[in-house]
Amino acid sequence: MAALLSAPPAQRRSRTATSSERRRDRIWVMALAVVLGVEILYFSIAVSGFFGGGSGLLSLTEQFLDVGVIALGEAAVILAGEIDLSAGTMSSLSGITMAVLWRQGMEIWVAVLVALAISGAIGLLNGLIITVFKVDSLLVTLASQFILGAVATALGGGSPPYGFPGSFVSIAGTGTVGPVPDQLIVFAVLAAGVAIAIGRTRMGRSLALIGYNRPAARWSGIRVDRTVVGAFVASAFMAGISGILVSGLYNAARNDIGDSLLLPAITVVVLGGVDIFGGRGRISGVIIATFVLGFLTEGMLVAGDSSLSATMVTGILLIVCLVFKIGLERRGGSDVLGAVRRRAERLRHLGPGAGAPPAVGDELP
Amino acid sequence: MSAVAGSLTSRRTFLPTRALWARLVRLRELQLLLAMAVVVAVSAVLHPDFVSSSNVSFMLADSSVTATLAIGQTLVILGKGIDLSVAPILGIAAIVVGFPAQNHGLPLAVALVIVMGVGIVLGVGNGILVSWARIPPIITTLATLSVYGGLQFIIANGQEVVNIPNFYDTFGNSDLVPGVPWALLAAVGLALVVWLFLRQTNLGRSIYAVGNDADAAHRSGIPVQRIIFLTYVLCGFLAGIAGLIYLCHTGSADSTTGTDSNVELTSIAATLIGGTTLTGGRGGVIGSVLGAIFLSIALTAMVFARIPPIWEPAGVGGLILLAMVTDRHSGNLGSGGPRRVGRRH
Repeated sequence: MAALLSAPPAQRRSRTATSSERRRDRIWVMALAVVLGVEILYFSIAVSGFFGGGSGLLSLTEQFLDVGVIALGEAAVILAGEIDLSAGTMSSLSGITMAVLWRQGMEIWVAVLVALAISGAIGLLNGLIITVFKVDSLLVTLASQFILGAVATALGGGSPPYGFPGSFVSIAGTGTVGPVPDQLIVFAVLAAGVAIAIGRTRMGRSLALIGYNRPAARWSGIRVDRTVVGAFVASAFMAGISGILVSGLYNAARNDIGDSLLLPAITVVVLGGVDIFGGRGRISGVIIATFVLGFLTEGMLVAGDSSLSATMVTGILLIVCLVFKIGLERRGGSDVLGAVRRRAERLRHLGPGAGAPPAVGDELP
Repeated sequence: MSAVAGSLTSRRTFLPTRALWARLVRLRELQLLLAMAVVVAVSAVLHPDFVSSSNVSFMLADSSVTATLAIGQTLVILGKGIDLSVAPILGIAAIVVGFPAQNHGLPLAVALVIVMGVGIVLGVGNGILVSWARIPPIITTLATLSVYGGLQFIIANGQEVVNIPNFYDTFGNSDLVPGVPWALLAAVGLALVVWLFLRQTNLGRSIYAVGNDADAAHRSGIPVQRIIFLTYVLCGFLAGIAGLIYLCHTGSADSTTGTDSNVELTSIAATLIGGTTLTGGRGGVIGSVLGAIFLSIALTAMVFARIPPIWEPAGVGGLILLAMVTDRHSGNLGSGGPRRVGRRH
């Protein structure tokens, strides 16, 4: 986005997240909550079989919480100004690892722990490659995405394991406490944990500052590399958990299940108001966005639309939200005087008649 | 283009930098040719069939789809963008001409015009969202990946193209001389045109300027957003052509063509292996085409080495990592200043 680049770096990056930016982030989260309410209301009235006396609504959440779990980890990475494209296949690999270990005779819960440990270790490896060799995370995780997918397929073989013990399927998969699915409880716990870790701890604040202004973070004594590696470990770990949850839900491990989770997860993070370039965002937004997107998709599926048209609507929703949000930012981000001053400054730099007229919307976002 | 822009992108002003990256690009291309020679030599010694004209022709024809996509992807990445939506653009182009070709024997020339049109329209969609609405490219094209994918599904309407006229097949699967398929010649021809465009025209050189430093480009009078817009349109255009090549080569197309084989990631991989960097402004199309060919040769060599095809993605991933490690620039981006101010634009 050249808009960011068109201001001198010093001018742009000398600020910290201002109170008006924080206020706009809060407004975004509130708007999402309203959208969620309207959406649930609409589908409950218009689509029979969506609400299902409340428990139907709750059980629908099982279908999309795996995306939400990945999004929680991905949010940490994106907040730090990086991206993790390997989360999807990481999720497949974790489910397959757990299932294969179980088939080899390991106790299922031990297998779960081992799979999660391996996930964390792979996240550590991703993070170390990125920070030690100082290469773009997009590149590294694109590569590891391919590699992890192949490993998962190879491990799973022709017939991946299925038919896990009942206790596991009940807790990680389809079980409920009253009308509340276990998965929803697991998600709630994870979401609360991540929200506290990002919003209330030193580490979370460091993460956001790193995403906002990396040199400043370094100069203020934050261990930048270590924190970034931590974010990648968190992302891989959450992806691992999601793989276990999916396996529990379907009572089978599948080597390609994660492929379809990555893009919705990134959509959720961005929809939740996290700046794709890092530094700004709230986990509460990500949590609400999980439900906004999930209920939208499930609502359309219950109404009989194909999954591809649901995906299409997801994409349109993402675009509309961002056009709206970026418009909001551009208008609210700079007062009129500031815009005039910058325009004058630019004209002084360029001199009269210097080439093309300034492109539309060159203000800071 | 104004006089200022013209003089700033002219050869004289850019000479020192241009010589530098021209040298580096040539280096990566040499590396790739060398790597190809090694892989081919080793495989040929172990399995003489590897260099049979039918296998060479197969490998090269196979790489032509990726190569065509990678040319467009390179243009976008040079301008510091990324285009994940090339997969459904390819798919839509393939089915839009596939049905009339199957049912009515649509002439190849008409098909070519149609796929170009389809590609341009979908590319314009991306371009508007990136350069006018200012949505970050990775998010824009992530969204249009879904939207275009849905569109493809709707257009296909559950039907499949399974039977294409002979002249399509002839273009997709026959050779000029044994071992040199027409499809690859088409891709190489496009690459040469784009190479000349990037090297010899103000517009082409502006793409490098924008990707290198959009602020500086803007201040020197280059219409930054229009250049970025153009890269997405060209990328869509080339993805459309890739769709036609795909149709001719495989003889089939359906509602998930392109997206099901993740061609967008493969095209990015070929581009990165070809020496174009995600930080923008450095690289070129010749490297990307060589990257696509190298990818195809390496993956076929894996098959000859009796490595099960499920490891193919791992091969792609490994090659991306290898390309990264051998890129002498990737190691020192972090010294001092903000490493990724304005990255992924």
